[in-house]
Amino acid sequence: MKEQFSGRMIRIHFGEDDRWQGKPLHEAILAKCQELGIAEAIVFRGIEGYGSGSRLRRSGHWSFSKDAPIQLSIIDREEQIARLLPFLDAMVEEGLVATSSVEVIRYARAAAKTGEKP
Amino acid sequence: MLQPGKAIKVTIYLSDGATHHGVPIYSSILDFLFYRGVAGATVMKGIAGFGADHHMHSSSLVDISDRLPLKIEFIETREKVDAILGKLEELAGSGLIELQETTVAKPAQISKPKKTVPPAHLKIEGKAQMMRIYLSEEDRWQSKPLYEALVEAMRANDIAGVTVYRGVLGYGAHRRIHKDKPLLSSHHGSVMLSAIDTAEKLQAFLPLVDRMVEEGLVVFSDVDVIKYAYRAVDAEAAAASQQPPAAAGNAQD
Repeated sequence: MKEQFSGRMIRIHFGEDDRWQGKPLHEAILAKCQELGIAEAIVFRGIEGYGSGSRLRRSGHWSFSKDAPIQLSIIDREEQIARLLPFLDAMVEEGLVATSSVEVIRYARAAAKTGEKP
Repeated sequence: MLQPGKAIKVTIYLSDGATHHGVPIYSSILDFLFYRGVAGATVMKGIAGFGADHHMHSSSLVDISDRLPLKIEFIETREKVDAILGKLEELAGSGLIELQETTVAKPAQISKPKKTVPPAHLKIEGKAQMMRIYLSEEDRWQSKPLYEALVEAMRANDIAGVTVYRGVLGYGAHRRIHKDKPLLSSHHGSVMLSAIDTAEKLQAFLPLVDRMVEEGLVVFSDVDVIKYAYRAVDAEAAAASQQPPAAAGNAQD
């Protein structure tokens, strides 16, 4: 199955140590996306970076410092993204949210609704 | 598109055990021909033979030979053969390539219209498009990871560059949270491929994505390419371009 539509992509940048109600912030946002039925959400861990406050973030592969830069990409139709934005406002205390309009093609297997993979 | 009439039959002679980056040469050649939209190709295995090194290769019950002669054959138009011959020669290594004039009496039937081959190494600057493909790391295409097959397909079609990112967490079309567990086998992640090229080239590549991606998301956005610098591959290429950029950004991964 293939569908094509105009949508919006948000990218949120923050640190791996950022938390929301005790949970890692990226896990909390991802859970919220899933609850709202957002089409695609993916978390990337950067190797090095800096954000608000110019604090350098580095992923600690060999040390115990773990505040790696995190980038979360979320893609869906405009109206779905609009539903998510108020939650992001509340959850992201320190970070950057960038949005861009995109053209989306979505491929799905016929049996994808049940979450079963052949 | 193959029409009845004059065409070229290409035959490549290889030995079975020959590998290139750990992959059997015949399979990388076959992949390349497929990605470049060649009308059809066949790999045949010989029973016995010898090559340039004059070593007799044969199969017998005593020694299980893995160096049997192999033959790859395909028929295409002169233009198409000319377009891919350079890369073929590179892939075939020490093997022999033969071109033969032939006549197509009746081309094989195809169910789908074929894509056109985009011009190679187009210089991109200014308006361009970014294509991102979101997949599961487990997705496979012909027994290899799908993301890997897509990268090979993009390379074969001269897409300017592509990078694969592995997500640490994510979910996609099948609504399952993928979580990267560093201590366990972490092959259950979400991955993203990000490629940049002109809109025309990416659109020309799209039919192949259509066929290869069963489940996933493809996202296009407009970008401005500020700089597209590349390292000259060899001395000849360096000599051909009068001023090779010295501090080239590594656009390709």
